[in-house]
Amino acid sequence: MFTKKKLIVFAVVCAIFAAGEYWIFSTLQKSFEKNSLMEMTSLVKAMAASAPKDDGALAAWAEQLAGTYAGSRFFVIRGVPGEEGSEGVGGDRALFDLVARPANAAIAARAAESVSYLEVFRWPEHVSFSGVPYTLMVAPVPDEENSSARATLLVAVDSSGYVAYGRLIQTLALVAFALFALGLGIATFSRDPVSGYAILVLAAVVIAFVAYPLLEAVRLTLVKEGRFSFGVWKTILSNRQYLQALWGSVQLGIVTATISTFIGFVYAFAVARTGMKGKKLVTALATMPVISPPFSLTLSIILLFGKNGIVTKQLLGLQNFNIYGLGGLALVQTISMFPIAFLTMQGVLQAIDSTLEDASLDLNASRWYTFSHVTLPLAAPGLLSSWLLVFTNSLADFANPLLLSGSYRVLSVESYIEVTGMSRLDNGAALSLLLLLPTLTAFLVQRRWVSRKSFVVVTGKPSTRLSDLASPAARRALTGFVAVVSGFIVALYATIVAGCFVKNWGIDYSFTLMNIGEALTRGRQALLSTITLAGIATPIAGILSMVAAVILVRKKFPGKRLLESLIMTPFAIPGTLIGISFILAFNKPPLLLVGTGAILVINYVIRELPVGLEGGVAALRQIDPSIEEAAADLGADQATIFRTIILPLIRPAFISSMSYTFVRSMTAVSAIIFLISARWYHITIQIYNFSENLRFGLASVLSTTLIVIVLAVFGLMRLLVRQSEFLEKTVTTQ
Amino acid sequence: MATKSVPVTLSKVTKIFKDPKTRAEVHAVEDANFDVKPGELVTLLGPSGCGKTTMLRMIGGFELPTKGRILIGETDVTFLPPNGRQTATVFQSYGLFPHMDVFDNVAYGLKIRKLSQREIKSRVDAVLDLVGLSELAHRAPGRLSGGQQQRVALARSLVVEPQVLLLDEPLSNLDALLREQMRVEIRRIQKSLGITAIYVTHDRIEAMSLSDRVIVMRDGRIQQIGTPGDVYERPVSVFVAGFVGKVAFFPAQLEGIDGAGRALCTVGGRQVHAGSAAEGLRVGARVVVMARPESLRLVGREEAVAMGLVTARVYLGSSVEIYVKTDTGEILVQVDDPSGKAIPSEGEAVWIGFDEKRVRVLPAE
Repeated sequence: MFTKKKLIVFAVVCAIFAAGEYWIFSTLQKSFEKNSLMEMTSLVKAMAASAPKDDGALAAWAEQLAGTYAGSRFFVIRGVPGEEGSEGVGGDRALFDLVARPANAAIAARAAESVSYLEVFRWPEHVSFSGVPYTLMVAPVPDEENSSARATLLVAVDSSGYVAYGRLIQTLALVAFALFALGLGIATFSRDPVSGYAILVLAAVVIAFVAYPLLEAVRLTLVKEGRFSFGVWKTILSNRQYLQALWGSVQLGIVTATISTFIGFVYAFAVARTGMKGKKLVTALATMPVISPPFSLTLSIILLFGKNGIVTKQLLGLQNFNIYGLGGLALVQTISMFPIAFLTMQGVLQAIDSTLEDASLDLNASRWYTFSHVTLPLAAPGLLSSWLLVFTNSLADFANPLLLSGSYRVLSVESYIEVTGMSRLDNGAALSLLLLLPTLTAFLVQRRWVSRKSFVVVTGKPSTRLSDLASPAARRALTGFVAVVSGFIVALYATIVAGCFVKNWGIDYSFTLMNIGEALTRGRQALLSTITLAGIATPIAGILSMVAAVILVRKKFPGKRLLESLIMTPFAIPGTLIGISFILAFNKPPLLLVGTGAILVINYVIRELPVGLEGGVAALRQIDPSIEEAAADLGADQATIFRTIILPLIRPAFISSMSYTFVRSMTAVSAIIFLISARWYHITIQIYNFSENLRFGLASVLSTTLIVIVLAVFGLMRLLVRQSEFLEKTVTTQ
Repeated sequence: MATKSVPVTLSKVTKIFKDPKTRAEVHAVEDANFDVKPGELVTLLGPSGCGKTTMLRMIGGFELPTKGRILIGETDVTFLPPNGRQTATVFQSYGLFPHMDVFDNVAYGLKIRKLSQREIKSRVDAVLDLVGLSELAHRAPGRLSGGQQQRVALARSLVVEPQVLLLDEPLSNLDALLREQMRVEIRRIQKSLGITAIYVTHDRIEAMSLSDRVIVMRDGRIQQIGTPGDVYERPVSVFVAGFVGKVAFFPAQLEGIDGAGRALCTVGGRQVHAGSAAEGLRVGARVVVMARPESLRLVGREEAVAMGLVTARVYLGSSVEIYVKTDTGEILVQVDDPSGKAIPSEGEAVWIGFDEKRVRVLPAE
């Protein structure tokens, strides 16, 4: 806490550090200045030496110099300025005007003196012409005897890079000092420095990699040629094509969300409220699309229903059937996203106390009446919540429309095309920001409103038996529906596997193993770099999310809500926006990361932090805080408590957060596609490239490989979590 | 396991919480001043929400006081974190580490202190022996009974030889019989180790039977500090009198106080010389006379200070409790050794009198 002694120590140490730092950085800057001055002086001397002998040719010479050294400005004066007989000969008049300005008379006099002694003079301050900083040098052009100056050369060298370097040095020095002071402050004044550092690290991570890139993206859309302007937004909002894309996204979202919620509810009802057989299988099949890599379902839809699709061409003999567009997109998105609605609704339906339904039946209500007047109203908030979740997911979806949209326009793909196809970063940023509007609205409504309006009755008493609301006929209908959808899912995955072994889909269905060899050779580098980077990101995201969970659940500090919101932000915003804002923010100093593997790792980490955080928070809420207090009381500091108590207790959450991070990183597309480089490629993008080039066999092989990896990781996670299951039972005994 | 006993001093300690929603200030503890002598067991007693647990958590380092100083021995520990002070807390919910067995739970603090394996083993064995859990050293805490978990928590706190033992309602999760047993156990261990202890409870019987001194709290303020005898027989206020035991109050008028501290007052129209009086009473003020059930008796009309109807009789063997409804509320009269005495039946009108020497005058609330 703040005592006078500590404050004095703090101030003294800070002052010493600041002094040391000032010395180091000013030395750095001075030596840089000296070097660049020497360089410039010799350059200018060489220029002056190239002067034509004939005084009459001096004007042409100035022009010639300007032509040779683009970016620099020149002006030639005959004689020494200020002395009798001197006159401007030619070149950039602005230089002469500057030197001749009465306010600069004193400096000009010194320059003239230098010139008359045949020395190069550097103008003490940077001068600026139309916004660009220049270093102005005044150089003598010596006469033949090399005894006096017969002319004077004014050279303005573009030094915007030099000025930027100076600013960078100053910024770095300030940042270093701020970090040092913060760290020292925490060490000196905090009772719990470990948590203080953890907060500092988290804050630094989210400020640098969440807030800063997003602000950069927003800034880009509001600035045109260095000035504030709504120009970009005016273009976007008055362009039919872009508005079409916005409407396309929303329309697709509505269709997908509605169908998905319906299928999800039927599934959930069949699983949670009827005696249907094979519930485990159905659930397992339904979760497949959630964890399977992007493009795989799209790929199999194309193989089945595309131009050369086995159903459309071979079975139905349709010519030119077009799966590309709203219909195909809604189909593939529904299959990928109805499980979200299913899992949400299953939770809701299971939590509804079935004695309420029993009571209704007991009061002589029919099954249908009970369903429509008791079950459905109780489940309504869950339905809305599912709808909104799917809606946001559909809007943010990038991979499926990328392959399947055809001439149908959606925002996520449109912004990608703007950035990579047209190199219009500002429009791309604006479009992906536009996408944020409906997404964020749905996300916030879901969070703030629906989750609060939940009617779920938690009695704490598990119902021994759920009453079967469906009549035998209704149950048969439900089972039939679920079977058809599940069968379709199986068919989709079977198609991908089949695609691996077919020579040329749609034309030549003969069996081959060639695809496997070729795909693994050509995709090897992408696969390896994806596994490496996801492998690096996984422990970082795992640890960071658990640390964040501990800090947000257990600690009190100012700015906690803000920190939490910033960590959660990447969860709510579309990947394309993150990708675009990353290129904007990190293709320049001080964080020049574009093209490195680090930018991919950082992107994985910040995108998966929210999921891990939620898991960690839920696990921590189950743990009695007095367990940690007891450990502190027995002498453990915060780091020891985290290592010996918290981490073992939230192990299941920790493991599952890590496996999700790994899997989701490996299957990422939307942000990654902007950030990959030749050296650090990504397996999903490789699949996309193969599909775009109609090499469906190769794409199928890589998709299948990715599915196998994903399933293996989840299997491993199951195994590891089961081992620690005994914990969960004992943790909550109190 | 003999540590040097140290005192604990709180001076002007105040704790103000801010309600995160309404931004309103809640004064959990206000201006608390007290000393705990070396080796003493002091109980913080009060209804829930009176600030007693907050006080304990400030001594343990889990909360920071808004104002004031806390000293353990000579050291100012006000701002030290829990792991920086020599206190050990037994939590209401025990806070056992569910992923460690009994032995590892108890050894935790010693491992943090980086003692040798041998030393850890011998000290853990010794303390498990002290609490009678040697047999269960390798059980998981989830598979222990409530009483056993309680002992593990106690052993875990004692093994690090803290200067101060803090107990936060340690017995509230146990059933009545076990609670009595553990009460005796805790007192025995605390005395034998001579360790300074602060005990939080809302159970007056626990407080009275365990403590060297009791601190009665209400709404964040300390009402009275004294021995169990002090607070029971000589409470300073109606609240303390009511909180530490059964009591009957009679509205009265104070007429005067004599040199021996006895107070002359009028109760129910009768002149009474009460045995003692709270300090600071003014003659002529409205006061109440408090009487414990054991100093009340059924009397004839001429000696009575109150009259009422019997609503219930509870036969307890060595005594009978008679509940009487009077104009000023229900009064419990205890009749000792009832055999052969005439006990009034329900509905009967009775007159109540008291032993004047044993009643006390308190300021009216």
